Amino acid sequence: MAEQCAVIGIGQTHHKKKRADVSIPGLLREAATRALEDAECTWADIDAVVIGKAPDAFEGIVQPELFLADALGGAGKPMLRVHTAGSVGGSTFIVGAHLIESRIHERVLAIAWEKQSEGNAQWGLAGGRGRGIGAGGAFAPWIRAYIEKTGAPEYIGWQVAVKDRLNALKNPYAHLHLPDITIETVKESAMLWDPLRFLESCPSSDGACAVVLTNEANGKKAAKPAAWVAATAVKSELGQFPGRDPVRPQAGVECAHDVYTQAGIGVPRQEIDVAEIYVPFSWYEPMWLEGHDIAGPGEGWKMVESGDTEMTGSFPVNASGGVLSSNPIGASGMLRFAEAALQVRGLAGEHQVDGARTALAQAYGGAAQYFAMAILRNHPA
Amino acid sequence: MAATDIAVVGYAQTPSVRMARESEVQLLVPIVSEALARAGLDRREVGFTCAGSCDYLTGGPFAFVSNLEAAGAWPPISESHVEMDGAWALYEAWVRLQHGDIDTALVFGSGKSSPSKPEEMWAQQLDPYYLAPLGVDPASLAGIQARALLDSGKATERDFAEVVARNRRNAKNNPNAQVAGDYSVEALLEAPYVRAPLRAHDFPPISDGAVAVVLARGDRARALCDRPAWIRGLDHRIEVHQPGMRDLTSSTSTTLAARKAGYDGGPLDVIELSSTFSPQELILREALGLAADANVNPSGGALAANPVMATGLVRIVEVAQRIVEGSAHSGLAHATGGQVLQHNLVCLMEGD
Amino acid sequence: MTDVTTPKENLVMNHLVSLTYSEELTPILERYVDALIDGRIVGHKCPQCGRVYVPGKGYCPICVVPTTDKDEVEVSDHGTVTGFTIITPVAYYGQTETEPFVYASVLLDGSSGNLGGQDIVGVPHDQLHSGMRVRAVWKPPAERSAEGVSNRGWGSVASVIDAFEWTGEPDADRSVYEEHIF
Repeated sequence: MAEQCAVIGIGQTHHKKKRADVSIPGLLREAATRALEDAECTWADIDAVVIGKAPDAFEGIVQPELFLADALGGAGKPMLRVHTAGSVGGSTFIVGAHLIESRIHERVLAIAWEKQSEGNAQWGLAGGRGRGIGAGGAFAPWIRAYIEKTGAPEYIGWQVAVKDRLNALKNPYAHLHLPDITIETVKESAMLWDPLRFLESCPSSDGACAVVLTNEANGKKAAKPAAWVAATAVKSELGQFPGRDPVRPQAGVECAHDVYTQAGIGVPRQEIDVAEIYVPFSWYEPMWLEGHDIAGPGEGWKMVESGDTEMTGSFPVNASGGVLSSNPIGASGMLRFAEAALQVRGLAGEHQVDGARTALAQAYGGAAQYFAMAILRNHPA
Repeated sequence: MAATDIAVVGYAQTPSVRMARESEVQLLVPIVSEALARAGLDRREVGFTCAGSCDYLTGGPFAFVSNLEAAGAWPPISESHVEMDGAWALYEAWVRLQHGDIDTALVFGSGKSSPSKPEEMWAQQLDPYYLAPLGVDPASLAGIQARALLDSGKATERDFAEVVARNRRNAKNNPNAQVAGDYSVEALLEAPYVRAPLRAHDFPPISDGAVAVVLARGDRARALCDRPAWIRGLDHRIEVHQPGMRDLTSSTSTTLAARKAGYDGGPLDVIELSSTFSPQELILREALGLAADANVNPSGGALAANPVMATGLVRIVEVAQRIVEGSAHSGLAHATGGQVLQHNLVCLMEGD
Repeated sequence: MTDVTTPKENLVMNHLVSLTYSEELTPILERYVDALIDGRIVGHKCPQCGRVYVPGKGYCPICVVPTTDKDEVEVSDHGTVTGFTIITPVAYYGQTETEPFVYASVLLDGSSGNLGGQDIVGVPHDQLHSGMRVRAVWKPPAERSAEGVSNRGWGSVASVIDAFEWTGEPDADRSVYEEHIF
């Protein structure tokens, strides 16, 4: 019988295009220190560190966790570096949770980060070659396929873009604060990867996110309410093979059902109160709603259209502003898990969704082939 | 035996070569199949897969994604990856197995060092603010460590040469080794310095290689293998990165990891150490309190073959294989990450 | 909530690094490139499931069985556009593009998987659509080289085939391409 894992501390940086005020160690310590303070722990209380980020080429440092060990109180402790492309923030959280659930450690610091201003992510995504397509370029054809197949109206993506940025106004840590954003401004913004426009796309951010994970006994003793990990799952599939469906990847369907089953969730649409889902490009909101069987086939965009995914709606998605508002790539996945945890702890401040007791966290990566998901609750099992 | 007991029940490795014509994933595909076959495990039954590799070594961001094809990731699998030697992928799989819901795992590590220049590329593995811009390269750091060891009085240059001679002689019995043969200590000592006090033979070879391991838990391990190599203890510890801020002549993290893994200093039938530069073997022997006549690196160790990102996992395989085949009952495998032994993992294994 | 004030900016140091990676093409890709230069597109057909991979990988990633030169098959240089986007290039070190360019997946007749990242020429961007029948625009033989092909999978035909162009035929049926988007 596995140990229960509780999230007792959460910290993140103020995400910005360029955090010129801190070095990389400084960026990480900002998030980690906030998480430790939230958990009322010190560096010495941490037994192990799990760290994740996107490809090393984004900052041009080979295995940067090696030099970051010094800044993260790592000396004499185990340190693991997870690397699963865009889902890494989520899988880093999950590896940390496993260390608690297996009873190997009592308190684990899981941290994920990216300092894109100290490198060039576009160069990194292009493999250092010309004719790079970025991340949006890879997903655009699949988004087009989703739109054609479902007959979704063109404004759905714009709606998601507006919703997430207006939510972000209530999140002091979010990178983008765009109070004047409207459907019109999104529609008029420059086309980047047809059919995706500039304001439908995630920013490039410097940021980090850290969580302190612990066991049941410590979770129950914590001064502030903990978030409880009810389920975790990771699923991967080949990115490219004849007959693959990149629009509704099977790995995403299976990963979702794995966490629903573990958490005893029969009807996710009804039994999940709030979701933090990795939506780097607007259309991924309806696509993941369908891709994780929250909405039926062709119904995801209708949830968006009817306002169900607004903070005031029946299935709020990305009350934090999501990846569309802050995207330090390596950290973005962990931010989903952290924000989901904040919701069920009742500590999301202005972007708190009332009555959030069960939250879904999801991160994905690669050619929409890596999935990391969790269900978080406000009580242990 | 507790239900959480986890064992190595299958393994396979490629021979390390100076330059493989196959791509990294082409090296992996056959040995993953071979490891599964040795364990008698169908690919579709594997509960969790974890890989270790380094994008910068392979030569591109997201390079690790190509290796997924070796895992047979269709239909979808439960899988993860660490930007570390495969030994740490094994660590993650070992942790995952203790959850109790699955009982088998597939682990692999791979790397082709031939396409890049190690002194250029690994120099970017150091603190980007204070070290990398100075052009500090890994061979020079290893040279500084060697110098410190000589100055401490704990070793002589002859000791370094003896490490090399011993490992290359042992490697003659290892079909997967790249550098093997009989070398006299005197001849070795006459070779010129490359990074004083290190000579070319004190360096690891540049190798391309891959290794795969199958783990199983409890009764499943017994069903898959007549003589499983049980992992009695597994731990890893990292030290301060700045080389000027730690004692390069000792490996406190190895001592600590060994202790936490449950190593009590008693006799072991076989020890495999990931010392990539010859002085490091002496440092690790001391850190583990090994007797002078301990059976260290019968495979020839990392001086005979150094498929970076697989080297540590190969050490685990070399120990496990001897237990499974019955020539050893107990063993210790060591893996290292970073430079001059910054991060160290110790795996204690035992037969029934 | 109060906004964060931005403290004085730290000193920024530029550390430009150039790393060189040299690899010989794998034997399978060498054969692939030789055929390309000769005006033929070849792949490997899995002996177990029959899927054709262009270029061949040396194994079938679905069946995880080896494929060798004995499994080599030739595919057509005609195919169907299965998906596309138009990329607005951004500047970065090494960028070669300045104008919006097409990025399309083409399912060659006889292949089971797509040739990705292809340019489609001679068609206004707003008329591009999935299902279009296209054919390769080959470089003249004297200009063909192995340069664009690497073990990394970046650019599988770039130094031999410039782009694809519409054949003028009616579109392929949806069933031909809808399961081959990527």
